[in-house]
Amino acid sequence: MVSIKAYIATRALLTIPMVLILLTFVFVIMRILPGNPVLALIGMKASEETIKSLMEQLGLNKPLWQQYFEYIYNLLRGDLGRSMIWGRRPVINEIMNRFPATIELTIGGFIVSILLGLLTGMIAGVKPYGKIDATMRIYSIFVYTLFIPLIGMIFQYVFGVYLRILPVGGRIDPTLLPRQITGLYTIDSLLTLNFPAFISAVRYLILPSFTLGLVLSGVYTRLVRSSLLEVLSQDFIRACKARGLPNRIILFRHSLKNALIPILTMMGLQFALLLAGAVLTETTFSWPGMGTFLMERIQYRDFTTVQGTIVFYALFVALISLLVDIIYAYIDPRIRY
Amino acid sequence: MDNSLFIKVCIYSYINMVRKMAVRRGVSRNTMIIAVAVLVIIVLGTAMFLLRPGEKPPTEQPPTGPVYADTIIIGTTDRVSDLDPANAYDFFTWEVLTNIGEGPFVYEPGTIELKPGIIESYEIQEGGKVYILKLRQDVKFADGTPLTAEILKYSIDRVANIEGDPSWFVLDFVESTEVIDDYTLKITLFNPVSFYPAVLAVPTYFPVNPDAYPFDEITPDNTAGSVGHYKITTWVRDQQLVLEANENYYGDPPKTPRIIVKFYSDSTALRLALESGEIDIAWRTLDPTDIQSLQNREDINVIEAAGAYIRYIVFNTNIPPMDNPLVRQALAAAVDRGAIAETVFFGTVEPLYSLVPNGMWSHIDAFKDAYGDANLELARDLLRQAGYSEDNKLKVELWYTPAHYGTTEADVAALVKAAWEATGLVEVTVKSAEWSTYLEYTRKGQLMITLYGWYPDYLDPDNYLYPFLHTGSNRWLGNPYSDTEMDNWLDEAQVATDQATREALYQQVQQKLAEDAPIVPIFQGKLYIATNKNVKGVVLDQMMLLRYWLIYKELENVNPVNVSLMTNIFLVIATAQIFIATSVAKASVLKRRIN
Repeated sequence: MVSIKAYIATRALLTIPMVLILLTFVFVIMRILPGNPVLALIGMKASEETIKSLMEQLGLNKPLWQQYFEYIYNLLRGDLGRSMIWGRRPVINEIMNRFPATIELTIGGFIVSILLGLLTGMIAGVKPYGKIDATMRIYSIFVYTLFIPLIGMIFQYVFGVYLRILPVGGRIDPTLLPRQITGLYTIDSLLTLNFPAFISAVRYLILPSFTLGLVLSGVYTRLVRSSLLEVLSQDFIRACKARGLPNRIILFRHSLKNALIPILTMMGLQFALLLAGAVLTETTFSWPGMGTFLMERIQYRDFTTVQGTIVFYALFVALISLLVDIIYAYIDPRIRY
Repeated sequence: MDNSLFIKVCIYSYINMVRKMAVRRGVSRNTMIIAVAVLVIIVLGTAMFLLRPGEKPPTEQPPTGPVYADTIIIGTTDRVSDLDPANAYDFFTWEVLTNIGEGPFVYEPGTIELKPGIIESYEIQEGGKVYILKLRQDVKFADGTPLTAEILKYSIDRVANIEGDPSWFVLDFVESTEVIDDYTLKITLFNPVSFYPAVLAVPTYFPVNPDAYPFDEITPDNTAGSVGHYKITTWVRDQQLVLEANENYYGDPPKTPRIIVKFYSDSTALRLALESGEIDIAWRTLDPTDIQSLQNREDINVIEAAGAYIRYIVFNTNIPPMDNPLVRQALAAAVDRGAIAETVFFGTVEPLYSLVPNGMWSHIDAFKDAYGDANLELARDLLRQAGYSEDNKLKVELWYTPAHYGTTEADVAALVKAAWEATGLVEVTVKSAEWSTYLEYTRKGQLMITLYGWYPDYLDPDNYLYPFLHTGSNRWLGNPYSDTEMDNWLDEAQVATDQATREALYQQVQQKLAEDAPIVPIFQGKLYIATNKNVKGVVLDQMMLLRYWLIYKELENVNPVNVSLMTNIFLVIATAQIFIATSVAKASVLKRRIN
């Protein structure tokens, strides 16, 4: 039996080649595409000399392999470099400015998708092959096909423009900005006991996280349903019934707990998908997170920022899936690494 | 419907239903508790919604005179690049800088007339080579530091030293700066430049506080600001910018003490934010379709003004067949500007017949005089002269870039193609490339025909002609149009100090431009700003920068936005929820029977 520590170490080591491969891929793709940050930013009006000197400043005149190895060398020392446009701020600062917004949205979307998925999946799984089950299965396919910008816009229109009960864009009422501690406004406002800010942050969070969560909840619906069905057909459930336990206890205490194990794995995988979905959600709701940031910087060919952001994303997703594995082992005592 | 009655009916029917169910099916206590909890939540939610505070209770309104809001929220899809005059070189950042700073010259809002800003007076010496600026003595930074000639010199030298994107405003013109006394600065130019006061009005020349802006470093998130109407109090990049009145400003205080800028991701989001009342002003940039639908709303004002932004077609005269003037003239004649303005932009742009925009001095409709508009007859004649026919069509490649000029660009390209092909003698292949790629290919001279746009740096015909037509200056277009006569005229006009002489020269230039047709103007943008109907004082002019300090918003008595209608809608939703909750409760009862 291998200990969990060894498992974590192996996983962590495996992350390194994974990130390197991804990074190399992004590095090459960004540079194969014509255009560069200098041109994208001031290309129209700059003189030939300005462009040349800026390229030199940014190290873009060096041979590709040299740029690559210098980048890797700096990366290994934990230096993501500086952005290539607009004041050339350090990439890590740029990411840290944006990351909390994405995390806040992702967590919001995560919670909504789990709640919706569990609810619909349970309803479907408890009474399978009936009308309710069919409805829930249609629901799961339907929401999965929803296009985030479209459904987001419908929500914006209904709740923002027509009912005027929820804001349509941004993270918080600009006048209520809480003091920055974690960068998650909901948390910061609670930490500083700033309740109006908390309410405002939650109100701004509702529509984006609901949009994101709704779209991703369909996967859980199906998974919870099938997993629940499987558990419900097992012998121990029959034993529970034979003992005359109330259905509520059987469902919540005995079945659901076991049915949740495959769902946990899915949560880890879904997290990457959530981050991807967050890109579209952020654009729709003008949410100033990593998604809008990455899109913008790709257009400007801000090589270092795009590479840095992707490395960051990759590490983050790897970390999450590792965490999920650990939780997995904790919940299911049969699992040993 | 009477709301309270409606609520009562809902509650009674709900309790009744639950009671019946409980009796019939023997519901457990827990289920009853859950059902009651759901009811309480719904009732509380409804109550909170109904009792939520209005925007401002009417009792707070002073009884007489109009009341002005102390905050205005402006939404934009633009981004702030660097909050540092030494590296900022885009419209929106310039707009912000213009509101927090002021240069030696400023434009009189609503016109393109220059007037002294932070200077009391100025003198031009040595035939336009030397500018003596006498500063006002009451100008102070937001932190109270008084402005001196030393600081202005520091600011200008700093731009030159940093060599940021807009540094050419200093490097190309200024030979030296010299402090004469505390409030007098002498600027010596390399050559006399007739439009130098316009250059002195750009934000690059705004004074900055040496304590906050290091001499050799760009500070992209610097909120120290300058000597203008406002100061920055909160800045969260790409999220929000809060400006508050600078109490040290020498002139009148702004009409609205606080301005908040919120950043949106696209035109639709911006429009929805305006419609939802989240922002008071939607500015830069609304798509033509959004502008059109906002124009139909009663609670929103759409203000229109001439912009100084131009669009044009560039022919690369080095790539055959564009080296043939007849071909260029024919294509110039066939372009249908009216169709583009109406079909693609719903009249939100106006046709343009010269590179110098409509309304600017020296403008002439050179292309209209030479070719008319959508003149297919002339185009066919010219093409036949050039040796083309129905069997031997002229084949050209038209390039555009899909995002940089907005989502309408593909349609513009399609209409240009349609107009040319309407001659029956041209075959157009449309191709596109992403902005950065597009620029690189253009610069290398690989694209035959391209669509481009131009935002001016300073408002002078020079800025609309010299960079396009002067030998070497148009390298960015990959279009080495080069003509000695043209170069001479442009150079002469740049140094001539007499406006009549310059005007005559620029008109000659425009005529020759139409004749040679290396570049064909298509249209000139109009500016659109959509505001909540209570917002007043919006001044738009060709500078295309919004002056926040002139804007104000009248507060009305509280407008109960169809509360009764909305309450009813909400009640309908609440009822629906009750029924859903009931069926869930039912389902939980049914669960007892799982087998």
